[in-house]
Amino acid sequence: MDPLRLDIQDILESYQRKEFKPSELVASFLDRIEKNNPLLNAYLELNPERVRQRAQELDQRFNEMGKLPLFGVPLAIKDNFLVKHWKATAGSKILENYVSPYTATSVERLETAGAIILGKANCDEFAMGSSNENSAYGPVRNPWDTTRVPGGSSGGSAAAVAAGCAAGSLGTDTGGSIRQPASLCGIVGLKPSYGRVSRYGVVAYASSLDQVGPFGKSVWDVARLLEVMAGYDRHDATSSRAIVPKYTESLSTHSLRGVTLGIPREWLEGLESDVRKSFDSALEVLKGEGAKLVDIKLPHTKYALSTYYLIAPSECSSNLARFDGVHYGHRTKDAKTGEEIYTKSRGEGMGREVKLRIMLGTYALSAGYYDAYYIKANQVRRLIQKDFEDAFTHCQSIVVPTSPSTAFPLGDKTEDPLKMYLSDIFTLPVNLAGLPGISVPCGLDTKNLPVGLQLIGKPFEEASLLQVAHAYEKLRGRFPSPALKGGSR
Amino acid sequence: MLSREEVLKIAKLARLDLTATEVDTYRQQLGRVLDYIKELSALETPKDAFVKHVPRDAVAFREDKTLPFPDTKALLANAPAIEAESFCLPPILEES
Repeated sequence: MDPLRLDIQDILESYQRKEFKPSELVASFLDRIEKNNPLLNAYLELNPERVRQRAQELDQRFNEMGKLPLFGVPLAIKDNFLVKHWKATAGSKILENYVSPYTATSVERLETAGAIILGKANCDEFAMGSSNENSAYGPVRNPWDTTRVPGGSSGGSAAAVAAGCAAGSLGTDTGGSIRQPASLCGIVGLKPSYGRVSRYGVVAYASSLDQVGPFGKSVWDVARLLEVMAGYDRHDATSSRAIVPKYTESLSTHSLRGVTLGIPREWLEGLESDVRKSFDSALEVLKGEGAKLVDIKLPHTKYALSTYYLIAPSECSSNLARFDGVHYGHRTKDAKTGEEIYTKSRGEGMGREVKLRIMLGTYALSAGYYDAYYIKANQVRRLIQKDFEDAFTHCQSIVVPTSPSTAFPLGDKTEDPLKMYLSDIFTLPVNLAGLPGISVPCGLDTKNLPVGLQLIGKPFEEASLLQVAHAYEKLRGRFPSPALKGGSR
Repeated sequence: MLSREEVLKIAKLARLDLTATEVDTYRQQLGRVLDYIKELSALETPKDAFVKHVPRDAVAFREDKTLPFPDTKALLANAPAIEAESFCLPPILEES
């Protein structure tokens, strides 16, 4: 068996044919991780013994397979999720030794469904970043070209799947942190509607924007992970009570005939030519299969970056106030007063970008600036949301590139925060409006780097979004895998 | 660009101890981001336009009731310093 080629659907079918047992499968994944992780740095914590034990336990439950929708599926979990007994550093030094006292609802549901947690995946500190270079534990490298970034903030989760070091994974998406790394690593990444998946047990960054979502090698795989995780959770007051459809069941029969897809032409100006080329070919494929393409306008989305960089930092300055060196996390050895415990523990434990965003938020929320910044940003956010509402009266889904560029070299944008922020220009508006969005690979550029196609749907209409994505994926055909140690292309 | 004093004031409000180099870096970076964000001020926005984060049917009210956490030991195990199930801090009042 080759972990690089196996997706979740393949794994489940192979189990049904009794081709291998969970313990045999995880052995091959652990072997691949051992060979590739030293270079990729996709995992921050691994515990092979715990993984083998869990797999053996599932070997004994082989006859329950039919009842467990993720039986024996090995997954990576972003390190900002709490999983009991595993560390949760969220990529920060301030949580270096933090051991999760309980498990996030989303992860608990995956485990109950039979999934095996392989390890905790590297990420930008507190999920703040677009390249994974803000991790206190070193950057993740892109499996397609290890001199380049995998995207962020869920870079480890994306790289692990792309490299065949996990069958699927979990990430969080506050401004593009699932879709952008999925695009840069050539896999599928889904950000569900705000409220679709519980955020309980996830380290909070910006609570009105954060959403949990899956990565996989195929649309079917992310549909399966979503149908297991989604749904109401009494621990998260913003989780929706809306019924969770069986997303996988509606995928196979869907055609694109009569489907209207909206394209905001103004978004396409200034795109990298390779990205444009792949995007245009994808549109041709969709059109060829009967989809109707219409031009739409999203006039306020040009303000999304400014809006996001007021709202997200404001919420983060409040959320991250809990890291005070008192209850958990790093405490300075250098404090003489109570106040110094706060200021020095935070000063020592937090990284550059996190401090920048906390200060931005503190400034935006401070007396005299609150109305001009925070309130104003929320008003613009409503206008952006309204743009999407209007657009959806003309189309079923919106189609755009996921990222304006393919994977960029490590260090390319680290000195200029604004330049880095622009990496998420096509994904941020979706979070501001609370919509679902999915990135599906749609081509390779001239440097052999993946390009992603983003589909954006109406709130809580993940089912139709996944149907369109699945139909496109079938027309596109199998997407290649990166060439890495321990596996062939 | 913000002044050094402004950066130090924000850092104080944010409870962040900054090095001198960091103050200089953040003067520039905060200034650059805030300059960009200024574009919003020119935009006409209706006063009552506050965002709806979640569809109305998704929000339900429940009683605001605290429930005991089953594993206090695991919580305390992450504390930097504890004594008899309490978090320890240095004295905050000086002896007169």
